[in-house]
Amino acid sequence: MRKKTKRRLKVTYDLFDRVGNDDFEYIYRGVFTQNLTRKILSLAESNLQRFVDKGSLQNRIYFIMVEGLQNVTRPQRDENAVTDEHLGIFAIQKKGNRYLITTGNSIVNSKVELLKEKLEQVSNLDREEIKKLHREIVGTGELSAKGGAGLGLIEMARRSGNKLSFDFEYIDLYWSYFYLQTEIPSRTYGNSAVEDLETSKFMRDMKSLNRILSKRNILLNFNGNFNQNNILSLLSIIKGQMRVSRAAKKVYNIMVEMLQNISKHGNDYQDSDDGNSGIFSLAQTEEEYILSSGNYILNKYVDELREKLELINSLDTSELNEYFNKILLEQITIDPKKTGLGFVDIRLKCNKKVAYDFRKLDDEFSFFTLQTSIQLK
Amino acid sequence: MEPLRIKATEDTPEIYFDTKEEIFEISNVSLPENAVEFYAPILDWLKRYKLNPNPVTVFNFNIEYLNTASSKQIFELIFLIDKISEGSDITIRWHYDVIDDDMRSLGVRFTHLVKVKFELVEYEKEEEDLDEMNDEGEDWW
Repeated sequence: MRKKTKRRLKVTYDLFDRVGNDDFEYIYRGVFTQNLTRKILSLAESNLQRFVDKGSLQNRIYFIMVEGLQNVTRPQRDENAVTDEHLGIFAIQKKGNRYLITTGNSIVNSKVELLKEKLEQVSNLDREEIKKLHREIVGTGELSAKGGAGLGLIEMARRSGNKLSFDFEYIDLYWSYFYLQTEIPSRTYGNSAVEDLETSKFMRDMKSLNRILSKRNILLNFNGNFNQNNILSLLSIIKGQMRVSRAAKKVYNIMVEMLQNISKHGNDYQDSDDGNSGIFSLAQTEEEYILSSGNYILNKYVDELREKLELINSLDTSELNEYFNKILLEQITIDPKKTGLGFVDIRLKCNKKVAYDFRKLDDEFSFFTLQTSIQLK
Repeated sequence: MEPLRIKATEDTPEIYFDTKEEIFEISNVSLPENAVEFYAPILDWLKRYKLNPNPVTVFNFNIEYLNTASSKQIFELIFLIDKISEGSDITIRWHYDVIDDDMRSLGVRFTHLVKVKFELVEYEKEEEDLDEMNDEGEDWW
């Protein structure tokens, strides 16, 4: 296995490992459009439903997502001209009782000072002052009145209990990268000093995560529960975002198998009917799309799966086709959800060996990572 | 024979089998988790159709996305259609997007496994409107 491939398999595990078992993390990097925004919202919403009851918390999170996404969905130049450091980012993370929503986008340096001023102005206000300011602006209908903060920002501050943090990273002479993070605690915390410390920790964490994703050219990273609902949302995001091409079609076809593989065959610490924990990421380099997935597997199934993958990798195209046909012609399917075709199909579709790794975690479970790639041209 | 009509969902195809109107079509996407369950009533319907088929039948498979679990079930349908073709004139038309090499390959694969008349029909999709970009406007903050 090439060193690069090995490293990437490890990155998949590391990205998964940094998120707790009851948590999730969903990150999209790229050019944002309204259509994408709708799809991201629906994916985030279905993930939230597992943890948050309908009601004020869900509304608050939803609202802040909408505002945050509007922030990044601004006119961006020609998609092809957007270099990596200018890609927008949207992230929603669940960390224990907290929900963090982070957006990032590039901004011309000449606008940084003014924006910073507005952000600081809002973050220095206490709860009551924000409410008052909000009432004033809504009352007069005057947006962005003379150097004052805009309604979007004030709304975010109001709904999050003013837990906004921001950061500017210098890109070059003309550009900076602007991060805005909102924390929505699902219950109130006592000690504010601890809170501040953690707030800056979350921002640092997000920035370093973005650097990792950027280094690996990862555009989509979903770390959470894989059930049919989430899978369909992920697929529709990919379908909407990729330009129509042979390679894009293949990416979609292979992604279907990789994602359903997690939901159908993955194991999990919590035995649930509604999908399994896992990770999926899609990266795009100048030459290829790289698809990576990871999920738990019971140790007792590892050898069987490893043997199967070894076998599939050792077959040439005509042998693979024979293998595929043999399964098609078998009349009886023992388990209706398992056809045994998934890996053979992936191998045939990407027309190259699949890369994989098993990492033993404890007496019961291992972590299985799988990686394939598709040439862009 | 009563027609079989199943509306498409986000992950299951539309089924339109009507002996009187002579329409036999499966279209849209097929990505269900449990494909066996979804295709069971369709296989049942075909088994009954086998007893008294129209003299001429054209089956159109017009599926945009397909998981492997569905491929297996679709093959079960085709296998059964192959049997019906022993007693009546049947053609299968396998439609695929010109850029979808995988859907084409699957059609080609099926032609090798059955004897029924099997036509591969390539189509070109009109490019969907690109996402509407946001209007140039006020800065958000």
